[in-house]
Amino acid sequence: MTAGILVAGAGLIAAGIPLSALRGARGALAVQLAGAAVVTAGALAVLASGDAVGGAFHGGVAPRLGLDRLSALFALVVCGTAIPALLCARDQLAASPVRRPLLALTAAFLLSMLGVLAARDVATFLGSWELMTLVPATAILVARRDAAVRRAVFAYVAITHLGGAGVWVALLTLAHHDAFGAAMTGGPQALVLVAALVGFGTKAGVMPLHVWLPRAHPVAPPHVSALMSGVMLKVALYGLVRVLFEWAAPAPLWAGLVLLAAGVLSAVAGVLYALVQRELKRLLAFSSVENVGVIVAALGAAIVLADAGDERWAALAFAAALLHTLNHAAFKALLFLGAGAIGDAAGSLAFDRMGGLLRRMPWTGGAFLAGCAAIAAVPPLNGFASEWLTLQALLHVGTSTAPGISAAGALALAGIAVTAALAVVCFVKVVGLVLLGAPRTPQAAAATDAPGATRAALAVLAAACVALGVTPGLLVPTLVALAPGDVALEPGLTLAPAGTGGLAAAGLPLALALVFALVLRATTAAPRTAAAPAWTCGQRVEPALAWTSAGFTKPLRLALESVLRPERERELTEGPAGVEQIAYHAEVPHLFDDLVYRPVRRTALRGAAVARRVQSGSLRAYILYLLALVLGLLAVLRLGGAA
Amino acid sequence: MSGAVVAAGAAQLAGLALAPLAAGAVQRLKGRLQGRRGPSPLQPYRELRRLWGKSGVQPESAGPVYRAAPAVVVATLVVAALAVPVAGRAPDWGVGHDLVVVVGLLALGRFAVAAAAWDTGSGFALMGAARDLTFAVSIEGVLLLVALLAALTADGTTDLVAMSQAAAGAEPWREPLHWCAAAAFALAAIAETGRQPVDNPDTHLELTMVHEGPLLEYAGRDLACLQWAAAARLWLMMLLAAGLFLPTGGPFGVRLAVAGATVAALCVAVALTETALAKMRILRVPVFLGGAGALCLVGLSTWLLGAGT
Repeated sequence: MTAGILVAGAGLIAAGIPLSALRGARGALAVQLAGAAVVTAGALAVLASGDAVGGAFHGGVAPRLGLDRLSALFALVVCGTAIPALLCARDQLAASPVRRPLLALTAAFLLSMLGVLAARDVATFLGSWELMTLVPATAILVARRDAAVRRAVFAYVAITHLGGAGVWVALLTLAHHDAFGAAMTGGPQALVLVAALVGFGTKAGVMPLHVWLPRAHPVAPPHVSALMSGVMLKVALYGLVRVLFEWAAPAPLWAGLVLLAAGVLSAVAGVLYALVQRELKRLLAFSSVENVGVIVAALGAAIVLADAGDERWAALAFAAALLHTLNHAAFKALLFLGAGAIGDAAGSLAFDRMGGLLRRMPWTGGAFLAGCAAIAAVPPLNGFASEWLTLQALLHVGTSTAPGISAAGALALAGIAVTAALAVVCFVKVVGLVLLGAPRTPQAAAATDAPGATRAALAVLAAACVALGVTPGLLVPTLVALAPGDVALEPGLTLAPAGTGGLAAAGLPLALALVFALVLRATTAAPRTAAAPAWTCGQRVEPALAWTSAGFTKPLRLALESVLRPERERELTEGPAGVEQIAYHAEVPHLFDDLVYRPVRRTALRGAAVARRVQSGSLRAYILYLLALVLGLLAVLRLGGAA
Repeated sequence: MSGAVVAAGAAQLAGLALAPLAAGAVQRLKGRLQGRRGPSPLQPYRELRRLWGKSGVQPESAGPVYRAAPAVVVATLVVAALAVPVAGRAPDWGVGHDLVVVVGLLALGRFAVAAAAWDTGSGFALMGAARDLTFAVSIEGVLLLVALLAALTADGTTDLVAMSQAAAGAEPWREPLHWCAAAAFALAAIAETGRQPVDNPDTHLELTMVHEGPLLEYAGRDLACLQWAAAARLWLMMLLAAGLFLPTGGPFGVRLAVAGATVAALCVAVALTETALAKMRILRVPVFLGGAGALCLVGLSTWLLGAGT
């Protein structure tokens, strides 16, 4: 029954490809939407009943499909995000000349991601995996073709393929040892783990393998960005979870510590670089690196805690990672789709060219505000719930493991706490520059709200952020059940695992709302409210005095100067009457590019130059190479035979 | 529900009303220490009453976010006050008693105030908000480390009720960990509440403002809410200090009296530091808080070395 529903849903999405390509009409979009909705329903059924559909994973080549609860959870993320993304695509692509190919590619993208999740054999998994990389690259190139975009797509494809080799190595090694589900130890396990960390880590955007992400995500069309950031990264994390907790389980302690370190690095550095961006979609891309870091750190904590024998908190850390996966899909899709609508209305996504949009676009702006508060991890929204559980898991790494490891837990705890605070700075900046204050350009002043379908999509996602924030007490027991081991948690309105004071996910918003409403009623009942210009020491308030993105992050840049190494350039043009013109340019360079990737690229190019010398073009030289090769092989054979 | 728990609940609610008194007492004491007569301890209440009767002011570009921020801040502090037990007891208000949640609530208040600063578009408000949020980055890191250290002495829980029970008696003070945690908490609390030497709450110079900056545009009842919130934040931090680091056990009545005396003593301590220490340069503050973080790590390593032997 459930299998039928799932196949029907996937079939509908597949039917969307030729329909979009040939007719490109509303009908094709409706078919895709229906397909996504049907798959969502099927995935929910699998999650609720707990019965896996289809076969188990096997190491052979015969294609096999199936969906267990873990796959179903991620399929839910894929299709649950796809529905609002498609709704927004309907409005944003309405006048686009490339509407048909883009819609067809979107359907193919969704199918490839579902293929990775439903694959139960190596060939299907790897085939879908490669499609999942290539289809969005094609979509970006179909939508935009300027040189900068082509470079970004090249970097994306090159880096994800180089890193993605790890996925091949990991899966083929597993298939070679026929070890899916069987216990693995020693060298092969280490090989699988390292390959999987690199392969899936590259695709998930874990630092220092993330450099493609802030290049590729901003240039994609909004709904593709939302799917790439909200969903594709999660599919990579799904692969990581499968390898770490199922195929090569139990993962050894060092893998947990590596994940913990990489996760905290991604989280802190991701949000720091997000902070200093000057364009909204680039900021959101870096913030995806941050959130993937939080998820990876929680996975690391799960391994470390399981190694220390604390099964209960290991399962909770695992649940924290999955909960943050769900939450991040909701708010990141909301923010990317909202950014698309805002970019259309304001004509730019540069921070210093928006402003005052909450009043002009109340629906889009209101939903966007909710998304920013959620991603900034302030209670009572969903970002806080998963951040809270992650912090608690790291705190218990600190309290219940051996000394050296508990110190690592303490550092990770401080790192994630700092990340949460930095996320507040980052997204207050976004809210302020995009939505609040006075508009900064005439086009922003003339902005109007997005069309109906986009509004509906954003409202649904904002509602999801609130709902996920209120119900972690009901969700986490389901997620804990997905963890290895058999830890059970009672569902309830308050999420109160032993060792915490409890997250009153339902009581907290209720109490906050009650006090808020009472106080607001009292303050708005004041005699009257006078309108006045803001106080600027008696000067007239002028647009030129408006605070900028760089100004707001200045104290932080100063405090972290030694880490971020900002660059400043100032040019004074002096004339007879003194200074005539000042040109000022400031930039925070991406140190991973400068310190890691540039030397690697330089070495690779130098190596290529050396290799080129061997390619002399002279026939005699090539004959010599062939002769040397034959002689060498003969020598090897001879020696091998003797031994 | 036992009588002690009901009394603790009453004490929590009374704390909401008494918070301005503590702030006023600090001002009075500071005046005396500086050779002035100082304002009456009741002065904050008079201020609140005066502001309550005045009309509000709304900058031209500001909208609903600016209007809502004071109520959000008050709501976060009221809920946080309900989550923090008094003298080791607290009724179940339905908001839990988790230390990490309290830290999160403070972050929500900061988010609201900083968003309101953006809504006014005023440079002074944004300068203050940016500095406040910058400090908060280190403060949150330190507070979570303090939570870890305090949880280590309390069998690995962040339940504030259990933590304040575990802090009772002289036993925890045998560990250097506890001393380090207490000192780091004091430093973080000074920064969180915006007291000297991190910030000067009495400043009237816009360029030096941190916590006061975003309040510049507010007037009337909105300002009254925000002034109360500043006092409540100080109160909350003193209560947390008393709960996490107060070595008293025994019956509830005794504990309540000692907690009250501790808050009074902390008021004196605040007045003394504010008299003795000048405000530090803004760029020194992250170093100051980094010191608090280092203290936590030192405390943790002593604990780990102790556990190893």
